[in-house]
Amino acid sequence: MSEILEQISTAVIEGEVEEMVDLTEDALGDDISAEDILNKGLMAGMDYVGVEFKAGNVFVPEVLRSARAMQESMSVLKPLLEESGVQMLGKVLLGTVKGDLHDIGKNLVGMMCEGAGFEVKDLGKDIAPEAFADAVKEFEPDVLGMSALLTTTMRVMETTINVLEEAGVRDKVKVMIGGAPVTQAFSDQIGADGYASNAASAAELAKQMVGRA
Amino acid sequence: MRTNYRVNSGVRFRMLSKDQLRELYWGVLHVLEYTGLEVHHDEARDVLKKAGAWVDGLRVRIPSYLVRRSLKMAPRSFTIFARDGNPRHDIHIGPGRAHFGPGPTCPNFADIETLERRPYVKADVPQVAKIVDALPNIDFCESLGTVSDVHHDLGALYEFAGMFPNTSKPIVAWSYDRHDSAGIHEIAVAEAGGQEAFERRPNYVHYCEPLSPLVSTYEALEKLLFAAKHRIPLIFTPCPIAGGTAPVTAAGIITMAAAESWMGLTVAQAIQPGLPYIMGGVLSVMDMSAMILAYGAPELSLMMAGITELAHYAGLPLWQTGGCTDSKTFDAQAMIEGSMSVFFSALSGGDLTHDVGYTESGMTGSVFQLAAMDEAIGYSRRITRGIEVNEDTLAVDAIHNVGPNGHYLREPHTRRHFKSEFWLPNLHDRRNFEEWDMMGRTTMKGRTVAWVREILATHQPSAIKSETEKVIQKVLEAGEDRVKDQ
Ligand code: B12
Repeated sequence: MSEILEQISTAVIEGEVEEMVDLTEDALGDDISAEDILNKGLMAGMDYVGVEFKAGNVFVPEVLRSARAMQESMSVLKPLLEESGVQMLGKVLLGTVKGDLHDIGKNLVGMMCEGAGFEVKDLGKDIAPEAFADAVKEFEPDVLGMSALLTTTMRVMETTINVLEEAGVRDKVKVMIGGAPVTQAFSDQIGADGYASNAASAAELAKQMVGRA
Repeated sequence: MRTNYRVNSGVRFRMLSKDQLRELYWGVLHVLEYTGLEVHHDEARDVLKKAGAWVDGLRVRIPSYLVRRSLKMAPRSFTIFARDGNPRHDIHIGPGRAHFGPGPTCPNFADIETLERRPYVKADVPQVAKIVDALPNIDFCESLGTVSDVHHDLGALYEFAGMFPNTSKPIVAWSYDRHDSAGIHEIAVAEAGGQEAFERRPNYVHYCEPLSPLVSTYEALEKLLFAAKHRIPLIFTPCPIAGGTAPVTAAGIITMAAAESWMGLTVAQAIQPGLPYIMGGVLSVMDMSAMILAYGAPELSLMMAGITELAHYAGLPLWQTGGCTDSKTFDAQAMIEGSMSVFFSALSGGDLTHDVGYTESGMTGSVFQLAAMDEAIGYSRRITRGIEVNEDTLAVDAIHNVGPNGHYLREPHTRRHFKSEFWLPNLHDRRNFEEWDMMGRTTMKGRTVAWVREILATHQPSAIKSETEKVIQKVLEAGEDRVKDQ
């Protein structure tokens, strides 16, 4: 691997947010393709961070800083990648369902998905089913993630899925759900496409859903 | 007579100096005055504006004089009364007194027969209340669960209706909305003998939760307004998570949580001057690997002790937290985490310590954890009761009488004092090996389970008035009627 790609992946691992743009431009100046910078530099770094996080050697704030570093570089790479027709990982739309105000878990899921290479749009909390459906039409995500922390609001996930159905967009997205009281059995019962019990596995699940795990 | 003699009448610890407390106190006032909070309730914003706060859209900033005046208006000492007049079930809130009780609304429950985790159901409510009623060191009642087998909007109502007849210890009641609060209040007032009688001898406390960071939500304020207007003692408690929804530092999370709670205080005192108000805050850390709010972390005890000291400095009682664990089962971790936080709560004199019996970070309620913690509370209370020093306890005469080479077994001094000086264990086993072996080598877990089941088989709480029973029926029917089309 070229030295600059190595530097980029190290900078991601170390979370050197300020250096990312310069490093990325240097790499492009060396005639390395945007795609290679993404896959062999940024993602190589993030993969390492993911493994270390699972092993308990790296912690959430460090993972999020690495994800931020990657975002910096992506701001340079994204137009180039789009131009050259490279398939991006995809888009994730997120929100906490209507009536529910718990949001820190959902925020973590969003940041972990960004770290995995997704483009993420977060609608916030207390989101009505119709608002989810409208956002699906507008943002055209590959994956819709819903969060609920209350047994009373869990059932709003089902309502939301029905509203997606009525709006004719249910088959345009994969639906993943989560939140402390949610289970795989509940996900199966309401016809969601998947469930994950924490933010790291949510990002994994999203990757599986777009066929890139 | 002893003059100029200083008496330490119990063991307490002090973590923060006066200077540090002053710094925290003014930090909170600064946040309220310069940053302010979002207040998602029209009426509450009006109340605040009339009282002298600056309202700018949803954002409300409160000048420090107004917060300080509200702090002065709230009492430091008051009593929550047992519904049946049993004085031993009254809770006297005041300096130096720590009280304990379970927590609310876990989705799951550790089944009393199988000990397995399963959804919490209506039939669990009376059982928990009965156990609370019988446990000698548990002072107030919450249900440890959200009732899952009734209409989803009626969980809080059925919960109160199930607790009230089954314990005369004061209940800390939560609710989803104003309808629940009204139903609950109707039941409590019926038993008290009318609104005025209730105001003189309140028999329950109302609990609501604002959102961190810095939001007073519509739901929380609806309930606060209801409680304030009906002069129901009130807990207003945020649940910030250090490093997640709050600053990562202990001083930072304490400052923010206090600001969130004092916003509620200011609204409440503007409506009902002198309303008994219990400052809140469940403060702990986000585990940066497991991504949970840790109920068994040492930082929980530390932060809770800090906010307790701040509350007391400002002249308010505090809604403490302890006796809880992140463990999924009745094991050594559960006992270490639960006991340590119970002891810390007792040491810091937190006025009402809740969440005793929470396991799995608040996801599963356990009466076994609760009963084991009853033992830990007794143990802690013996320590915080301290050492009494006077002519009699000094035992100079007894020492003289026995002299060298004697023994104290038959001394009147021993007989007179051993029952108050020594704590009598209930669940702990201190027998020698042979006896323990003969009695079937029981474990703490086995003894706790047996005790809980024995209580359920034998304990009879005092009954409520028959009129109140009718009111309960009426309130539940009205509730069912309200939700029948939803
Ligand atoms: C903090 C907290 C609050 C805060 C929330 C502040 C905020 N900004 O989020 C406040 C104080 C506002 C609050 C309010 C209430 N709460 Co609350 N709260 C909690 C608490 C203690 C921690 C939640 C948390 O943040 N955990 C940390 C995060 C990181 O974990 P997480 O959210 O579970 O997310 C992880 C996974 O679940 C997953 N995940 C999350 N979302 C998603 C989405 C997708 C797509 C995927 C794949 C994965 C995924 O990944 C995340 C990271 O690993 C829980 C207890 C608990 N153990 O969960 C109770 C809890 C959820 N609350 C509860 C209750 C009852 C309430 C109230 C009704 C209380 C009341 N009477 O006022 C209100 C309801 C307000 C409302 N309308 O929503 C109950 C729920 C019980 C039930 N039967 O449903 C719980 C279990 C506590 C309890 N035992 O009483 N609460």
